[in-house]
Formats: sequence, C-alpha cells, structure tokens
Amino acid sequence: MNVARSITRREWTRMTILAIAAFGVWQIGSGAYIHAKAWLAQQLIASAWTRTLEGERQVKPWPWADTWPIARLQAIDQGVELYVLADASGRSLAFGPGHVNGTAAIGEGNTVLAGHRDTHFAFLRSLQPGDELAMQTADGRKWRFQLSETHVIDSRYQRLQFDEQVAATLTLLTCYPFDAIVPGGPLRYVAIAELRTGPTSLAMPTRP
Amino acid sequence: MQRKNAGSGPQAKVRQPVAVLFFIWLLHSFAPSAQAQALDQDIGSGSLTLRDDRGLAIDAPRMETAVRMNVSGIVARVEVSQRFHNESDAWVEGLYAFPLPENSAVDTLRMKVGERIIVGEIREKEQAQKIFEQARQQGQRASVVHQQRPNLFRTAVANIGPGETIEVVIGYLQIVEQNAGRYSLRFPLTITPRYFPGLQLDPETPLTSETAIAALTLAVPGDDTAAIGDLHPRLAHANPQRQSVSIEIDIDAGVSLKHIVSPYHPIVVAATDHGAQVELRDQQSPPDRDFELSWVPIVSGEPAVALFREPNDQGEHVLLMFMPPQESRPIDTPREVIFVVDTSGSMTGESIRQARAALMNGLRTLQPADRFTVIQFNSYHESLFAKPVFASEENLSRAQRYVSNLRATGGTEMLPALLAALSMPESEEHLRQVVFITDAAVGNEDQLMLAIRQRLGSARLFTVGIGSAPNGHFLRNAARTGRGTFTYIGSIGEVESKMTDLLKKLTHPVLTDIELSWPAGVVPEYAPASIGDLYAGEPIVVAARLQSSAKGMLSISGRTNGAWTRQIALAGMQPRTGVASLWARNRIGDLMDTRASGTTEDSIRASVLPLALQYQLVSNYTSLVAVDRTPARPDGEELRSRRISNTKPNGLDWPAEGIPSTATSAQLNFAIGALLLIAALGWQFRARHLQRSQQL
Repeated sequence: MNVARSITRREWTRMTILAIAAFGVWQIGSGAYIHAKAWLAQQLIASAWTRTLEGERQVKPWPWADTWPIARLQAIDQGVELYVLADASGRSLAFGPGHVNGTAAIGEGNTVLAGHRDTHFAFLRSLQPGDELAMQTADGRKWRFQLSETHVIDSRYQRLQFDEQVAATLTLLTCYPFDAIVPGGPLRYVAIAELRTGPTSLAMPTRP
Repeated sequence: MQRKNAGSGPQAKVRQPVAVLFFIWLLHSFAPSAQAQALDQDIGSGSLTLRDDRGLAIDAPRMETAVRMNVSGIVARVEVSQRFHNESDAWVEGLYAFPLPENSAVDTLRMKVGERIIVGEIREKEQAQKIFEQARQQGQRASVVHQQRPNLFRTAVANIGPGETIEVVIGYLQIVEQNAGRYSLRFPLTITPRYFPGLQLDPETPLTSETAIAALTLAVPGDDTAAIGDLHPRLAHANPQRQSVSIEIDIDAGVSLKHIVSPYHPIVVAATDHGAQVELRDQQSPPDRDFELSWVPIVSGEPAVALFREPNDQGEHVLLMFMPPQESRPIDTPREVIFVVDTSGSMTGESIRQARAALMNGLRTLQPADRFTVIQFNSYHESLFAKPVFASEENLSRAQRYVSNLRATGGTEMLPALLAALSMPESEEHLRQVVFITDAAVGNEDQLMLAIRQRLGSARLFTVGIGSAPNGHFLRNAARTGRGTFTYIGSIGEVESKMTDLLKKLTHPVLTDIELSWPAGVVPEYAPASIGDLYAGEPIVVAARLQSSAKGMLSISGRTNGAWTRQIALAGMQPRTGVASLWARNRIGDLMDTRASGTTEDSIRASVLPLALQYQLVSNYTSLVAVDRTPARPDGEELRSRRISNTKPNGLDWPAEGIPSTATSAQLNFAIGALLLIAALGWQFRARHLQRSQQL
C-alpha cells in the first residue's frame, strides 16, 4: 500500500516537474520565435524591397502580409540595415520598424519611425548624436540624416514635440529602458535626426 | 478509507504546483495588458506644443466660442460669437479658421470692443482684405471674415491690446434638415485635415480610371486662399483652458416636442409649449467633435407643409417644404452594390472602426440575387472582386474577412477609386448603387464632383460620412449630384440605426419627376435649380424667387409607383425674414457648381459677385469687414500674428497620442522560461535526493 502510494506521488511530482520544464522551454521558445520572426521577416522583405525599387507599389513580402516596405534604413556606424514598413501596428512591428501613421512622409517633414527596443531598434541604444543614418525611399531617392539628440519621454504625460514646418527630420521611437523585462512600460526613447545635404553613404552591400 | 487517502494525498500535492503555474501564467498574460490599459486612460490629456519660427512658444489668444441658435420651424438663425482674449503683454492678431454647416448663408459680422459695437460691411474679397490690412497697419482694431471653402471660414482680428478681449459675432441662416418627421441640425466644431492629392487636371479631358495621376492639378479653380494664407488647419489637443465652446438653442416648432436628442454632447433641455430650450451641459466643452441635435415634434395629423415668403426689392422669395406621400412597398429589382471605403491615414482610430461596422452592416443587407464588391482606397485602391459578384454565402464571408482586416494608412487618393467604382461593367437587370464610406478629408472636391458628373451613368451614389468631423459639404453635394443620399455617422453606437435608415432608402422606390406648377404668369427662379429625386422620408424643399407676389394655387406632382398631385394655397404663406438670403445662398451654390461643368471663372464671378453684394452674403468673392476707426495700438508697438489651432477631432489618432508599444515580450519570455527551468531542475534534484534518502 505504502509503495503504491509513493509511486503515484512520485509520478505526480515528475509530471509536474516535466510540465514546469516544458512550460519553461515553451517560454524560451516563444522568446526565440519573436527574434527569429524579426530576423526572418527582414530577409523576406529584402526581395519585396528590390521589387519596390523596380517600380512596383505596395509589394507584400509574403502573400498574406498586410504591410509592405516603404524605405530602407541604415545606421552606418552600427552596421545595421533595416526595411521600414508602411505602418506601426503591433502586427507589423514584429516584422520590422514601421512608419507612424499621420506623420510626414520621409523627407517631407517630421517622420516618426517606431521599432521594437529588443529586436530591430535595439541598436538605438548605441546610437550617439553625430552618428549618421541613411535612408532610401521607394522612389529610389537617398537621404542622409544625422542624429542630433536623444531623450526619454513618459508617454503618459508627455507628447512628442513637433516644430511646425521644420525641415525634414527623422524621429526614431522605441521603448525604454532597453533591458526592462516586462514589456508595455510608459517610457519611450526618442532619437531625433536631422536631414543633411550631401552624398549619402548608402553604399553598404545589401545583406550577404 | 485507505483508498480515499491514497487518492486525496497526491491530489492535494498536485493542486499547489498547478496553482503556481496558473498564477505565473496569469501574471504573464495580464501584466503587460494591465499597463497598456493604464496608458489608454491617460491618452488625450496632453498637449501638442507648437513653437514659432524663432523657437518661442506660441501664446495664441485664448478663444471662447459661443453659439446661439434660434430655430423657427425649418429655418435656423445662428450667431457664432468668438471671443479672443489676449493674455500676453504684446499687441497680437488672432487668426482662426473654423467650419460652419454646409450651405450656411453668412450675412452678419459684429465686432465688440468693450462697450462699442462695430457692424461689418460686405465688400468684394480683395477690397475687404485691403481695408483690413490698412486698419491693421494704422493700429486700428479690425476684423474680417473670409470664406475659404463653402463650409470653411476664417476670421482675422487685428490689434488686440495686451490683456484685451475682442468679440467677433458671425451670423448665418440655415435650413433645418428634415427626414421622416425628424428635424436635425448639425454644427461642425473642428476640422479633419484635408488631403490634397498631388494631381494635375485638365478640365477639357474626360476622366477615366486610366487617367495618369501625374496628368491630374492641385489648384482648385477660384480658390485664392493660398494668396491670403495657408489653408491647412493646425490642430492641438483639447484644452478647455485655451479653447472652449458653449451652445444655446431655442427651438420654436409651433407645437411641443415628442423627443429631443443630442447624440454626441450631453445637453440640458427645458421644454416649452411650442418647442424647447437646449444648452450644452458643459458650457466649456472642448470643440473636438461636431454637435448634432435632432427633435421630433408631436405630430398633429396634418400633412406637413410649410410655406414662407420674404419680399424685398429683388422680388418675392418663397421657401416651400412639403412631405410627399410615402410608398411603403420595397423595390423588387435586384441591386448591384459597390461599397467604396476610405482607408486613408485620416481614418485612423475610431473612424476606421465605424467604417468597418458600417460595411459589415451593409453586407448583411444583401440578398442572394444582388451583386456586390468592396473597393478600399488610400494612396492606392484595391477591389476585392474584379467585377461585382453575386452575394453568395461564400462571397459574403470572403468580403467579411476582407472588411475585418481593413486598416487605415497612407494618403487619400479618392479620385482613382471613385473612377474605378463608376467604371465597373454595368448590368441591365441590376440597379447600381455605389455606397461611399469616408471622412472625405480631401481638398480636391471639384475634381471629384466633375468625375461624378461625367461618369455616373445610371448609378446612384450614396455617401456615408464617418468620424468626428467629416467634410459634410462635399459628401452632401456628391450625393446630390449622384442622385443618392448623405448619411452622417458620428459614433460607433449609431452605425446600426443610421445604416438601417440608409438601407430603407436603398431598397425603397425613389420619388421621381417632381414638378411644381405655379399660377399663370408666375416665373420662378429655383435654387437649387432642379428638384432631385427623393428617397423614403425625405421632404421636398424648394426655394424660389418670383418677380412679384403670387396668388392662387400651387400644385405639386410626382411619381413613385403611381402618380400623385397636391394643391397648396399660396394665400397661406407666412412672412419670414431670411428666406431671401437662403434663396441667394442656394443660388450662389448652384452658380459655383457650374465650375465643374466648365463655366469659366470670370463668368461665374460676374454672376455671383452682384448677387452676393445685393443679398449681403459672404461668398468666394465677398467678405465681411469691420473696422473700429478709433486708433488703438500706439505707433512703434509691434503687432504679432498668432494662429489659433483647431481642436484635434476626437478619435483621430495623432502621432503623439498613438505612440506605439515598442517592446516585445521576448525578454519576459526568456526570464520566465529560465526561472521555470531552474525551478524544475531544483525540484527534480530535491525529489531525487528525497527518493535516495527514502531508499536508504
């Protein structure tokens, strides 16, 4: 009797441990999946971008996608190359940084791009004022921006400040702090880059 | 007993870890969303800081708008008072662009400076601007009212001294809407920024869906606002301390009211025996959404006929409203419905949700014999089906999936989408109806009207205005030209009832061939020039100018499934001031509309200008200007010009407000995963340890 009881008990213990372990593996897998999706999507978007440059419009990177690339962004010193998507909905941000609706088109005013702090826009952490950013828009034009300032805002109390009718600027937006564990906090990291004239060094080879 | 023991022991043990797991899962799934909720609640309270070109904060004058409406039967006399408070220590000029209801006849400007009241005069637009500029430079207090678009006006008030308040009162007349016994008034309180497509248009060439976008122009003929200043409204977040509005309405319906509703603003109603007095409950409401009021008088059983007259030296003016007999049998011809939905950036937020709900509602009304398709447009357009398909279950469920995935982004290239809808192959046995769902935040109204005129064919165009502040003027005009109706949906809660009303119009026969015959010798000049077809519940509203007063009988006839005729005695006409102005406003509207059919700017101006001057109305070519001759600003003091922002329409996502969430749960996943694995490992180790000691 005693033996039978302890076997059942041991089995339960083992099952529970297994369940916890499985849940843990699943959690790590989910995290890895987010990163894998972020990376893989950018690879798929690359070919959609090539077709966009050839004159096609709203090229969906995969048939069921509901967003499309509108620009290519390079952080020269960080060696980062990203495709910017047409919107900044939660769904699209999983695949790449997005253009925030209602803000100006690139080169026509204050453009706001948002990206995930732990995937695509993780590089913002190492971006310093003075660093160069290069952009290419769907019409093939190239733009050179230089980072002028970074600051942190609390989205509960503060708004992005917009100068009316300023020259073209690029505002990159991501969550802050960069290594917070729980997502959804109110702080946002804001990096503002101003348009510079002169040749852009958008010469890095597309991904190997 | 032992069996029971054997069962309950492990169960009790198991419950604990399961509870722990469940708790972790709960934490995991709720922690981020609880924070997101807190964020949502905070949204809307901030402010968009504007800075001027020198980087200084703009201290625009504080603005209070007070609206007083006197409704008498079907005519409303409205006075909009704008009080500009200058709180700075400099002399400033206030500039304010504001919307008024479409087809409002603006005829009054009064400027109040302290105790003095200066009455404005109607002048040719350029002359009015010149008078204003001169007074401005000489340091005199002055104000001017220009019309930018038929429903968009602009006031400028110069030389507001430090700490001073100047009040500008603008007066207009309006015909109250009536539909199936329900009267309604709308007062727009803010502006959705309009999208101007980068198009070039040659009015000579007919438009097709293949017209190259580059071949179409931004320049709207007759629009000289660019010369006076920029048109794009500036938006700021609602801030009742800086801008507020109060509304008071006195309704004289002749009888008491059955009910009265303000769907978007809380109101206080005091019933009177011939109507009601209404005011906003919050007399300092932020002007971030349009105001609407509707009321239903207790029906007295008499057929609804209203006939008013106003003689002046231009002749006799008549305003007639008549509710025709209603046909209750629905039409049996199958319909072909093309839903066109705006998914541009201005539809972001609440608007796109309303549009999706309205579309879903529209799809549900289709019968299997009907055909349909859905076209969405932003910077580009896309049709769900290449040509209309039968409303089979399969097609409908495909459409429902498509609609639920609609999102708002990009520009508002409405013209190509409209052309695509109008050029779909037509079928003989179907009645084509185009249902256009949009906030119409566009600046190229004329090009769109031209397209509708040229390409409509036998189709009918029904416009559905969405959002807090749609461009009602364009949508109403488009529906009139498209021989359909305009429906305004201001909130998600109204989608069901408004779409049901629209459906009734879509499926009930149209009242056609409406004719009025006057006693012999009377030659009427109608405005609008033609009486369009009517839908179920709509009254006939006619304004006319006659050379001299008419006596005898007026007969009205029309046709639904059968023909009918009614006689109305002209002797029963009641005198009413405002009828002449309303007629003239409609007439000017008609003349302005001829622009789309190719009449030259010069000849329109030649006919509109004298009419506007005679009837003292603000128009595209005339403005009201008031100057206080007493010099106010001392020489040498600088005058600063400040633009007053319009309050951002409620529900329109603005970048600062719609700051996206930009963190994935990956870090949290990793952390939880790692913790759980460590816990599992630890437990496993302990269990083994225990087991070993037991064995020992």
